[in-house]
Amino acid sequence: MAAYGEVSWFCCGSAWGPCGSTGHGACGTCNSGSRQHAWPNASDACFSITRPDRCGESITRRTCGFLHYTTNRCNGVRVATRIADCGPQTDLFCGERVCCGSVCGTNRIIDLTPSAYSVIASLSTGLRPAMVTV
Amino acid sequence: MVLWVAALQPLLIGAVLLYSSAVKLAPRRSRPPTSGTALARLVGERRAAWALRLLGVVELTLGAALVLPPVLPVEAVAATALMLGFLGYLGYARAVVPDSSCGCMSTRRSPVTWRSFARGGLLLGAAVLAVPAATSWLDAVGTRPAAGTGLLLVEAAAVIAFSAELDTWWLLPLRRLRVRLSHPLARTSRLTGPPLDSSVDQVQHSAAYRSVAYLLRSDVVEHWDEDDWRILVYSARYGGRATTAVFAVPRLRYEPQAVRVALVDDQTGAPVDPPDPSKLDHNTLSNSTFHEGTLADLTLRSGPLGDASLNDAPLSGAGAGRTGPGAVNVG
Amino acid sequence: MTHPIDRRRLLTAAVLGGAGVVGATAFGSLAPEAAFAADDLTAQAGLADPNFAEGRITGITGGVLAVTGSDNVLHRIRVTDATSIWKLRPTTLDRVAVGDGLYARGARLGDGTLAADAVWVNIVNLHAHIRAIGRNVLSLDHRGQPIVAHVVPGVTAASYNGTPAVADLSLLRVGRHVQVLGAWHPDSNEIDIATVYAAAN
Repeated sequence: MAAYGEVSWFCCGSAWGPCGSTGHGACGTCNSGSRQHAWPNASDACFSITRPDRCGESITRRTCGFLHYTTNRCNGVRVATRIADCGPQTDLFCGERVCCGSVCGTNRIIDLTPSAYSVIASLSTGLRPAMVTV
Repeated sequence: MVLWVAALQPLLIGAVLLYSSAVKLAPRRSRPPTSGTALARLVGERRAAWALRLLGVVELTLGAALVLPPVLPVEAVAATALMLGFLGYLGYARAVVPDSSCGCMSTRRSPVTWRSFARGGLLLGAAVLAVPAATSWLDAVGTRPAAGTGLLLVEAAAVIAFSAELDTWWLLPLRRLRVRLSHPLARTSRLTGPPLDSSVDQVQHSAAYRSVAYLLRSDVVEHWDEDDWRILVYSARYGGRATTAVFAVPRLRYEPQAVRVALVDDQTGAPVDPPDPSKLDHNTLSNSTFHEGTLADLTLRSGPLGDASLNDAPLSGAGAGRTGPGAVNVG
Repeated sequence: MTHPIDRRRLLTAAVLGGAGVVGATAFGSLAPEAAFAADDLTAQAGLADPNFAEGRITGITGGVLAVTGSDNVLHRIRVTDATSIWKLRPTTLDRVAVGDGLYARGARLGDGTLAADAVWVNIVNLHAHIRAIGRNVLSLDHRGQPIVAHVVPGVTAASYNGTPAVADLSLLRVGRHVQVLGAWHPDSNEIDIATVYAAAN
């Protein structure tokens, strides 16, 4: 089955800029230069923060290291990444929608590292409609 | 005078503890999260939630004792010990997990800052002052109602001012009022010319973009305005050759369907002719058009957007994709 | 195509003349088999991406950027005329400075140099609460840290509820949660805003 929603990107790994204090994510392995992603239901504690259920999203529990494929629905390009952090904070953007043409995604369901996101879209686009599969 | 002031402090401390206990003893999903906090580091992740609830019970008990008669010095002594403990915890949290939320009086994320310490210090001072109190706060307010009420309101205002978790009560409304009165960003709506971002938006929404998206290798390389058009240039690769993808976007109106695209060969400067789709060799295209690690790194293609196979194809044998909120995401 | 003005004339003529198209299938419907790259795709998951670099610029020599990654790996990134450079807006190499942070994607050459297709300088994508709004400035709270976000007239845009980006920022509200894409001012807590994603109500 596929999950449809929005994909964005985030930095991790104690890198430059505001990323300097983020650390290596909830899994302790996250780096901006690796093909990784944040998942909103990586643990009980994670779910209590992201609360995708408040937006009507039912996200399966997947833990650190789990493999997902994310497709940018604007251009069909796909990237494979592993869970390395908790996020995005879905309930803070409930109902948000991003489209390209007639293809739209609602609610944030996955955040990619800069390395992963730049495979499927330009980093200067903050948000894309996406399909996530296993 | 000092004893009169001392008699008022149990109400302040008791009210704060009762409020704090209500937050900690709330239903599970309304409680502050404990994962990643200094409390979890102190007692372990698995025990942190229980520790928080136990603390809530202690606060509830002591808060009720302070507010209700009789007045016992041991209550103020216990409050002093509790406030010392809180300050110690704040110091530990600041040192060990500086970005973590205090979780003290709200489910809102609020890292430990100087305001947290100021509030703790204020409450510690109130607890110490309350030790010699011989009469209840009710009697103290009764003897001097205006002064008593005034002093309590000032102290409560100080506690609220030092509580970042409670900024939504007063600070944010104040800032919103200031914005409503001064309109600091009103000028942005009167700027002439659309920002580049809106033109990029149009490109991304257009059929022209979707027809060449997989060929693009870069972000916007350069742009300029040409009468009613904004020209956006990207690097691309087509048929194994370096090309430039040029988009013309309506500059003063939002009309993605009017966006035009052309591919120009970088070496010859000649426009690239679109291929005859019936003569496409997919293997040749796969090997010569795409190379790994570029912006349009093609790892899965299911056809142009709007192709039903992309939206509806079952994956992993598990059935059709989700089409809206509420449906189960296997993810 | 060497002179900038001539090049622009040529490209403009190409897209606004007969070569420009709007259709969805003008360049063909290309669908390489998914299996062609499936193994590469999965094998790279979770690992450091060899065709990507991040870090701070420590030197600029000709068209080559020397970059030190957050893991202390040293990168050499080659920039050409075909490389897009983003620093709040599309720009050129002369605007890039030592000390800037960057992400770059391209192709790794035999000598280890990364031939960049795209470089994003000082780009950040923050989730934050708006603490206050001033004249051409937003005071943000990002994970408990204060960030001063500057509005750049003519550049900064806002997207409300996913609608097309507009220059009007007056619908932003104190206390609301936003996503801010912008350019960091090195060694500070300040950024210039490229795009703000927010709810409109």
